[in-house]
Amino acid sequence: MGKAARDQSVRDRIKAQREEQQHRERLRRVATITAAVVVALGAIGAGWWYAANGSKPEEVTQALAPVTASPDGSVVMSVAGVEKPVLDVYEDFQCPACKAMEETSGATIKNLAAEGKVKVVYHPITIFSQEVNGGVTRANSLRAGAASRCIPGGTPWVKFHDRLFKEQPAETVEGFKLEDLVAWGKEAGVTSAGFETCVTGQQKASEQVDYSTKILQGAQLSGTPTLKLNGTEIGNDVAFKPAELRKAVLNAAK
Amino acid sequence: MLVTSEKQAPPRSRTSGSALPWVTTVSRLVLACVLIVAGWGKIGTPVLSVQSVKAYKLLPDSLATVVGYGLPILEIVIGVLLIVGLLTRAAGAISALLMLAFVIGIASVWARGLRIDCGCFGGGGQLKPGVEPDYLIDILRDSGLFVLGVVIAWFGPGRLALDSALGLAPERESHDDIEGDDGEPQEQENH
Repeated sequence: MGKAARDQSVRDRIKAQREEQQHRERLRRVATITAAVVVALGAIGAGWWYAANGSKPEEVTQALAPVTASPDGSVVMSVAGVEKPVLDVYEDFQCPACKAMEETSGATIKNLAAEGKVKVVYHPITIFSQEVNGGVTRANSLRAGAASRCIPGGTPWVKFHDRLFKEQPAETVEGFKLEDLVAWGKEAGVTSAGFETCVTGQQKASEQVDYSTKILQGAQLSGTPTLKLNGTEIGNDVAFKPAELRKAVLNAAK
Repeated sequence: MLVTSEKQAPPRSRTSGSALPWVTTVSRLVLACVLIVAGWGKIGTPVLSVQSVKAYKLLPDSLATVVGYGLPILEIVIGVLLIVGLLTRAAGAISALLMLAFVIGIASVWARGLRIDCGCFGGGGQLKPGVEPDYLIDILRDSGLFVLGVVIAWFGPGRLALDSALGLAPERESHDDIEGDDGEPQEQENH
């Protein structure tokens, strides 16, 4: 073997070694990147699952607790004799976040009341001012709120309440039309003779306005929906998570 | 390719005069902080996060739900990756895309005359009573963050990055070369 050939073979060996090293290096890089990507995607997946799971609503499993309209304009839902803890629910039938709260935690609130764990007090109010969307939003809210006041409590009140949120129009378009409100009330089981004229004549509109003013000033609300447990505001991170809300109420009931 | 020479010559020695790596490091930190704050503000109330996505009236409800649940955690994970400097270029590119999407979303809301809160840092997308929407500020902020994302994706992790420590960012040298000395353009084209 000549010198040139030996040199060549040494060079080849070095080259092969170098290539192998590069190859290993590349493999290691790919492995590291893959691991990091998997961990990152795993974290995102776990976070997504946690968010979805924590927002899952309960089912309404039993008959509602008795529902009565109080003289002060609120509506109480509680098993007879249950006076505390008190869960105040401040909501506007036209507010999208209230609809979201009802869809998420509404069933939990009903269940807890039916289980005799809490006295629920609904405060249907109108928070939108005349300036918003040229008054359309406020008018929607007032019609719905006034119509709910034409129902003297009972299960139909809650069914009507749920129906209003289900049918909530966009904030910028006219909705909650009077004839619809009458029809939904009848479908909710309202039988009283005066209901239709009460709704179409908007007989409770001024009551809705007065009650809203009173609550907005008295209860120091920053917005709707607001839940208060024994007078203390519950954070959104609890109010919008059924399991957390249930826990908070049960703790207060101890 | 630069092949093995990169082993013997640590990039640091060649680039001590360059400020660029620090620019991307600072970009990373700024972008990461905003993303983490934004994600943290939303992650506690997924339902409201979904609400604010729906308030844009751009996505069908089912997709809005997926985005609303996923966006907060995505922002936080991307933010953490940017802080530690892992998968930096990808994280920078994703942040830039996110910001671009936000800018488009807000601009579209503005153009359609909707009145919402951008929901960028939490809340349900509804303006508080008496508050005027401030779309221009939102758009300017997100455009600035978009630029930071592009800088990061383009120039790589910079200083203090896990990518460099783990040897995932060998391409850094070529850019450093360009900054540091008279560098050959075709070296950049390799990457």
